[in-house]
Amino acid sequence: MNEVENPVQKLWQEQPVEGIKMSVDEIRRRAGRFERRIARRNRRETVACVLVSGLFVYFLIGAHDVLFRIAYGLFGAGMIWVAVQLQRKGSIRNMPLTLGASNSLQFYRTELERQRDAVRNVWPWYLAPLVPGYLVLTIAYAIAFPQPVRWIGVLAFDVFVVLLFIGIWKMNQRAARCLDRMIDELNAPE
Amino acid sequence: MAVTVSAQDELYRQAAEIYGAALERLARAYEADVDLRRDLLQEIHVALWRSFNRFDGRCSLRTWVYRVAHNIAASHVISQRRTRAQTLVGLEELENIEDAQSGPTAVDRSHALNRLLELIQRLKPLDRNVILAYLEGMDATEIGEISGLSASNVATKIHRIKHMLSRKFQQGGSES
Repeated sequence: MNEVENPVQKLWQEQPVEGIKMSVDEIRRRAGRFERRIARRNRRETVACVLVSGLFVYFLIGAHDVLFRIAYGLFGAGMIWVAVQLQRKGSIRNMPLTLGASNSLQFYRTELERQRDAVRNVWPWYLAPLVPGYLVLTIAYAIAFPQPVRWIGVLAFDVFVVLLFIGIWKMNQRAARCLDRMIDELNAPE
Repeated sequence: MAVTVSAQDELYRQAAEIYGAALERLARAYEADVDLRRDLLQEIHVALWRSFNRFDGRCSLRTWVYRVAHNIAASHVISQRRTRAQTLVGLEELENIEDAQSGPTAVDRSHALNRLLELIQRLKPLDRNVILAYLEGMDATEIGEISGLSASNVATKIHRIKHMLSRKFQQGGSES
């Protein structure tokens, strides 16, 4: 029986509950369902990755210019890298079996640090892999179509892409700082 | 070291039987939305069953159950962080927040319970962990084992909790 020394504790402990019960078989089914969900997500991302890479291979084969071929090759490789990293850092995952061995402070800190590292390092795993392909493609385009009028359009698009990358990076840095503050609060002397 | 499947099932049955109601209360404190709360509770039960595969008896069954449940619930709070506008606060800040329904307006038990839930749901996960363990009647040592906070920190937080609860619930005569 729980200790009651305060009327609010009594209020809390005596609140009506639905009395939800789950049999072990039901638990097993749900655990299996969750694992299948993770496996399905992994399969879906692998298929998406293969399709995108296939598209770039198709462009690569169809391109006559060597620079365009290099650009499509780099883009394809960059996409595969991003897809693999997304899968590794994905939020849907099975919780560790040792969950009961970690106290809340350890667990909470580890979870916050995991999320912070994922958003802080967005540049090397999410943005940078696409840059080489994009740069080579821009150069290939400028060489293939040496009319200044066309360059203005390409330049405008380049500016848009650069701003987009900076925006994504800044947004993630802000999220990382917010998570850092939460971690600092946990580490603060008592 | 892994335990046998039948022992894992038996530990789960025992835990669900003894702490089922407390787990429901815990889920209610972490999630206000009814459907999401049901999902959270199911997730806690599944995690609990899975975790018993590694139960080594180094802590009590109750400590293990609450650690698993709070850790799953904290993970739920983190994942909901981006979609929820409400800023979570610490016990110190909550103590100083004047709520709109203070004192005499909270006249019955269900009203008082709703107010208590609202207060708890505003807390950061670690402080929520401490207040819930306190409300469940645990002592400071056990709260420390579950939360990972030092004995002195737990004592300070419990002192704050008692002060806050008495200020927000007893001054207006909502509880008797």
